Order: sequence, then C-alpha cells, then structure tokens
Amino acid sequence: MNLFLHINKKIIFFFGLIIVFSFLIIIFSKQINIKNIDLKISQKILSNVDIAEPKFAISADSRKIHITAKEGNFLNKDQILLNKNVRFKSNDFSIETEQVIFDRNKQTAESNTKSLFTSKNTTIASDGFNIYDNGNKIMFYGNSLIVLK
Amino acid sequence: MRLIFCITIIILFSFNIIAKEIGETEITTEDGIEVFQDEKYYLLKKNVKILSDNFNLNAKDVKIDFDKSLYDITELNAKGEVNFVSSKFGLNSISESLKFEVNIEKLRVSGKNSELITKDIKMYSDGLIEINNLSGDFKLEGPNSKLINETIFINAEKIDGIFSNIGDQKKISFLNVIDKKISYVKNNNTEMYAKKISFDNETSIIELIDDVVIIRNGEKIIGDYGTLDTKNNSYKIKSNNNTKVKVVIQNNE
Repeated sequence: MNLFLHINKKIIFFFGLIIVFSFLIIIFSKQINIKNIDLKISQKILSNVDIAEPKFAISADSRKIHITAKEGNFLNKDQILLNKNVRFKSNDFSIETEQVIFDRNKQTAESNTKSLFTSKNTTIASDGFNIYDNGNKIMFYGNSLIVLK
Repeated sequence: MRLIFCITIIILFSFNIIAKEIGETEITTEDGIEVFQDEKYYLLKKNVKILSDNFNLNAKDVKIDFDKSLYDITELNAKGEVNFVSSKFGLNSISESLKFEVNIEKLRVSGKNSELITKDIKMYSDGLIEINNLSGDFKLEGPNSKLINETIFINAEKIDGIFSNIGDQKKISFLNVIDKKISYVKNNNTEMYAKKISFDNETSIIELIDDVVIIRNGEKIIGDYGTLDTKNNSYKIKSNNNTKVKVVIQNNE
C-alpha cells in the first residue's frame, strides 16, 4: 500500500493551513515595514524641502532664462538653494548642474558643482558657474573644457 | 592574457573619448571662462590651450570675439607666453601677445623677442610682426626687427612688403625698409646701408635713399642715393650737390 495513504488528511490540512498563514504573515509584515520606510523617507524629504520642483526666471530686456530644479530650500528672504537636476534654459543655451544658489533680488545664480553648458555647436564643462548682470555675463569656474563644432 | 586584452581595450576607449574629432575646436583653461553675451566675447583664463584643425595655440590668457554664437569666432587675442603653430598657414610664432583676425587671416604678434617663422622666411622683432595670409602683406615694426630668408638679411626699425606665393614658396615681391638711424640689407654678396631701402621684384631694382653705403667685393661706395639692379648685379650711386660720391677700395690681404 502507498505510504501517503497512511497520512492523516486532517494533519495535512492543518499543516498546509499553518504554511499559508505563516506565508501571509511574512508578506503582511514586510509590507508594513516597506510602508513605514516609504513613509519615513517621504516625511524626511517633505520636512527638508521648502519647494518641490521650483521654477524661476532671470529676466533681461533681450533674453529670459528659465530655471527649474527638483527641490528648493529658502536660505533667506531672497536666496534659494536649488537641488537636483537644476536646469537653466534660454533661447540661446542651457546649463545643467546639481546645486545652485539663486538670488531672486539680484537675479544671480551661482553653482560650485560640476556644470555642463550647451548651446549651438558649443559645450562647456566646468567646476561651477556664476550668472550675473541679468544673465548677460556667465563666469565658469575652475578647470574648464570648451568644445566648438 | 585576458587582463592585458581588457587593459588595451580600456586604454583605446579612453583615447577615443579624449581625442578631438575632425572639425572640432577644443579649448582648455585652468581658471575658468567668462562669457559676455551682449558684448560678444569670452575670456579664457590661465594656461589656455586651443587645439583646432587649422592651428594650435598656448597662452596665459585669451580673449575670443564671436559673431552669432560662441563657436562663431571672429578674432582671437592672446597674452603671455604665446605659442602659435598653424599647419594651414605653414607658420609658427612665439610672442608676448598675439592677435588673429580669423576671417581675413591676419596674424599680428608683438612684444619683446617676438618671432614668426614660415618655411622660407624668419621674422624677428621687439615690436610687432604682422602678416596677412590672404593678401600677402607683411610688416615688422620696432627695435631689432629682422627679416631673413635664403638670399636676404634685413635689419631695420620698420620693414613692410608683400609676399607672393610661387609654388609652395613665399617670395618677396615688394619691400620697403626704413630706419631713422640706418637700415641694413644684405643680398647675396652685397651689403647695403641707407635710411630708406626699397625693392620691387617687377623692376628688380633696389633703391637706396640717404646715407647710402654699398659694400661689395672689397669696395665701399658712399653717397646719398643709389640703385642696385639685382638682374645684372650692377649699381649706381649719386650724391647731393654739396657732397661727393666716395669710393673706398679695401685691401683684404
């Protein structure tokens, strides 16, 4: 006679039930933990960021430079620290970097992180930059590389 | 073996990334760039290196003027230990400062110990050296200005003239040499001194004006005006009314 016919059906049923329950408990507890972590992270981000996806502009008579970023924090009444995917875009050029201090009053922007300037047939890689004089003047800091095509 | 292969691939890949592509101009600086968009120029600061298809330039600081956008270079001004090498124009120069007007291909180097060397001609000056690649005009001004080629040596305060391209060689077709003290020209076996010396390749005549001295084959002829025909190697000397032509025959023994 087959050995499996000797096993009690009730025992198999309870054993299966225990496995299913324990499996559900594990999944459930993990989900709770993940939710907690997500919640903690989002709470942390929300607590540190003053403006999510801020948008500003430097305006001059001849040009307008649009500024976007993922995060922004007020340093004081006029200065805002822009963080992550900071992008300056005008009709003539764009600049990408990770961190910029934008002054709303003076209409200046300064960065000390690696920056990439792109315009028609031109790229400039530098260790940072300073946009001043209503966007007319741009100073690129440190070791810089220009490629003209 | 596998490691060596991997290293080789990485090195080749790195070179491919670093290497300048044809048609590109690559500029590096150690202390940044300042772009003036309305004024249409940018300043390159400290140990500037420019690599392009037409020329290479090294200098302490460079100012670049542009027309429509940054790539559209019209004029280049370099200062401090300037070293310019151009395969297109077949010349190289060393100077304290340099100005290059791109559209008219006009190059001007200036400062103490400036030198501009082409395949056929060497030019030196403590003032300025200017050469226009399109028109062939050239100019040297200032102390210790010298122009040297295979057959001629010129030393004067001001030398200007026109080069003409004969085959792949640059020949002097017109020359004007001025020095308020005295100009010096040595052509083959003839030495000439005068305040003003000019040469026209069409007539093959060298004209000497004021305080003229011609020295050749042990003869020294002194006068106020002289001409030397480079075709038949003959010369004439005149004097003003109050002076006389003087001939000194030197004994070389």
